[in-house]
Amino acid sequence: MSGATVTAGAVQVVGGIALAPLLPGLVQHWKARLQGRRGPTPLQPYRELRRLWGKSAVTIEGTTAVYRLAPALAAASIGVAILIVPVAARAPDWGVGHDALALAGVLALARFAVAVAAWDVANGFALMGASRDLSISVFVEATLVLALAVAALVTGTTALPEVIAGTAGAGVWSQPALALGAIAFALVVVAETGRQPVDNPDTHLELTMIHEGPLLEYAGRDLAYLQWAAAARHWLVLVIAAQVFLPHPHGVWWQLALLPVTLAALCGALALAETLVAKMRILLVPRLLAVGAFAALLGIAAWLAASP
Amino acid sequence: MTSAALVAGLSAIGVGGVAAAGRATFRAGLILQAAGAAGLALAGFWAVAAGADAGSPFTSALDPRFGIDGLSGLFLGTLGLIAAPALVFSLRYLEPTGRGRAVGALTGAFVLAMAGVLCARDPFTFLAGWELMTLLPAAVILVARAGDRVARNTVFVYLAITHLGGAGTWIAVLLLAGAGAIGDPSALATGSGLQVAVALTALVGMGTKAGLLPLHVWLPRAHPIAPAPISALMSGVMIKVSIYALVRVLVEWTGVLPVWLGGLVLAIGAVSAVGGVVYALFQHDLKRLLALHSIENVGIIVLGIGACLILRARGAEAWAAFALGAALLHTVNHAIFKALLFLGAGAFERAVGSLELDRLGGLLRRMPWTGGAFLVGAMAIAGLPPLNGFASEWLTLQALLHVPAYGGAGDAIAGALALAALAATAALAVFCFVKVVGLVLLGPPRRQAAAEAVEAPASMRAALVVLAAVCVALGLVPGLLFGALAELAPWQASVPARAGLQLPGTGTLPAPGIAVALVALTAGLWLLRGRRSAAPVPSWACGQLVGPRLAWTSAGFTKPLRLILEAILRPQREIVVRYEASVVQEVTYSGRVPHLIDENLYRPVVRLALAAAGRARRLQSGRLGAYVAYLVGLVVVLLAAARVGALG
Repeated sequence: MSGATVTAGAVQVVGGIALAPLLPGLVQHWKARLQGRRGPTPLQPYRELRRLWGKSAVTIEGTTAVYRLAPALAAASIGVAILIVPVAARAPDWGVGHDALALAGVLALARFAVAVAAWDVANGFALMGASRDLSISVFVEATLVLALAVAALVTGTTALPEVIAGTAGAGVWSQPALALGAIAFALVVVAETGRQPVDNPDTHLELTMIHEGPLLEYAGRDLAYLQWAAAARHWLVLVIAAQVFLPHPHGVWWQLALLPVTLAALCGALALAETLVAKMRILLVPRLLAVGAFAALLGIAAWLAASP
Repeated sequence: MTSAALVAGLSAIGVGGVAAAGRATFRAGLILQAAGAAGLALAGFWAVAAGADAGSPFTSALDPRFGIDGLSGLFLGTLGLIAAPALVFSLRYLEPTGRGRAVGALTGAFVLAMAGVLCARDPFTFLAGWELMTLLPAAVILVARAGDRVARNTVFVYLAITHLGGAGTWIAVLLLAGAGAIGDPSALATGSGLQVAVALTALVGMGTKAGLLPLHVWLPRAHPIAPAPISALMSGVMIKVSIYALVRVLVEWTGVLPVWLGGLVLAIGAVSAVGGVVYALFQHDLKRLLALHSIENVGIIVLGIGACLILRARGAEAWAAFALGAALLHTVNHAIFKALLFLGAGAFERAVGSLELDRLGGLLRRMPWTGGAFLVGAMAIAGLPPLNGFASEWLTLQALLHVPAYGGAGDAIAGALALAALAATAALAVFCFVKVVGLVLLGPPRRQAAAEAVEAPASMRAALVVLAAVCVALGLVPGLLFGALAELAPWQASVPARAGLQLPGTGTLPAPGIAVALVALTAGLWLLRGRRSAAPVPSWACGQLVGPRLAWTSAGFTKPLRLILEAILRPQREIVVRYEASVVQEVTYSGRVPHLIDENLYRPVVRLALAAAGRARRLQSGRLGAYVAYLVGLVVVLLAAARVGALG
């Protein structure tokens, strides 16, 4: 294994686990600045995780092992997803493969675990959030698979390290297919990270929550796992956005060096979008995602027109 | 070795079936049948692994012949693998009353009829087995539900639709036999009228029996009213036998089909997959919901077959074999988890007395074994890692992704749309089974009967646990079976057998690695979490106590999607408010999602047919004079025709 592969592996695991909470922290921080507030520091998510780690979990009357295991299972699936998604064109073999479509399955498992736990506590607010999350996920998943299909067709593989290598270079968007795929993936990023206009991460009104709803009945380390998983989702989709759909350099070292810059820029873009756009009516979200799916379909058609 | 085990297994099922009809030998007969089914499973999977054919080859002649090859072996093995637990389940599910004994005996006959279709090597035996396979479940339902008018009506619908559509099977098989093309793909030229006619009639005939949209209407009606073991066999195996026939005709006997036919198969698969799961989502009856999921899964299988046909027409034979392997793997997988879910539903019905989703709840605590196995089955059918449904859905996605890579713009859009449809289907299935698991297994019991449910007897539990274990095992090492399945393609294709799935041009799916990583990480995080926990508290609902009146329902949970899809599904809702002296006394709400195909395709046809029958009845006045007049008229017309020369 070369030095580049080892370093890429280290960035993948350490970044995915330890740096992930920084991403939502940065978004919140910059959003506050853009809105003229001082806002929390970018390290606020770490403080919350530390606080939660010291608190005891709660048990809800009448729940089963499903409720108690769900946070660990959700965090574990996101952990596997972190192992699947490489940060550069080379990655060590963690034994879970690097397949783009396998990622969709692992993310679905995390969603299943949290939604099923909402039924276990039988709390109306938790179920409301779970039901909305699952309704939107239908459209998110179709758009996600189509966007990944564009990248896979352009590069001829669904192995993510090779996809990253195949789309490298400053002229990524000279291929209209990838530019259209990027539009689709941008909407997936917004939906998967639970940001406006799909969801409002700042809301504390149960009736408007989507992703926060099913977390209502958790506390302590359980809640810490779930909040970390939400932060790690930011890491997963933003890394793919940076290394597949945005211009990125050829060499592995260059890719690793530029990744923090691109991630920060993407967090800035999310903060800007949250400042400019209001939350959408939930029933209109599928239309927004349909725009993405349609863009990806156009991308596939464009790829065909361009390929010999 | 294969034929000996096969013959022994089949005779054991036959003898067991006869024995099950006797009062004293009822349970012994069922056990003998189960043992025979296990032998069938061994013989079938051995034929797949060894690749050795036995018995006679296919013939277009009409004298009865029997034989077995890899493809037959796969489906026979699946039949045995489902029938054995289903029969063990029947031991306590069926009572040795007259009705129970008749069902026990007919189960054996049903299994034998399906084995007959799979082993038939000539058109006559095939069609005879096909008809028996259709009629026997109808007989079982009539016996098990004697005196139930609704059931009788449903059986009539089932027989009418499967026979109307089933005519397609007869036409396809007889056309093939006439052309001498059974077992000989070189007999039909690519793109010839005969080839297209055979393919289209087979698609109608076998598609009806497989439950493909829009000929599926019998399936969600007939499957739920059968006894649970028969439902498991119908959904798990019978519709798979139609898939077997479709693969034989479309992939093997008709040679290379034109691309547009592959596209048509792909479109039918996509519509069935999405349509099946969307309507399943809005069901309130567990068995009906499961039956609609069979339509979804048959759609996924047919997506794989469609990808196989397109890729083969484009000359990408290796990927065509992969697509076929994906379809066949999903066939086996669906058979296993659907049988598990139907048997689980049977156990719940026995314990609670109802399968109305809003009347169950909390059963995981009352029935941990049955509930646990059911949870595994629900996760498998939802396509979640590390279970078997995930592996075959991943393979199907990969096969669809390669459809655009080998053809023109039409292929690309078809492949991309199918890809999006499959991704949405997978997400919808997760949604649906979150609802099922939540309403059936979790939360507070919604009725007294659910609160007092007791765990199923040992034999029923054993059947469920074995099927759940197979789901886990096939999810761990899907590659071992997939390699053999891709090699069942009539053209040369070789896939090395590995535990995980490795296809060129993909990131590979090391299923064992993913499973180990998931379990290890979950266990590690669970240990890290520690046991420190505050005293149990009730669920929080803005300060009010969560009582039965606050319980969420099946309709409530799926409401966002119902609103999103309102323009397509056109759900109906009705609110009746009763006033007394302008004070609201009572508010009743009822809502339902009508089935669009039932309402817009079948209703008008049935209405037209009834109207035409009404007209025709006026001719039958029963008066002698009228009949004499008809005869005289006929003679006059015939004479006139002869005079003009129209009658030669």
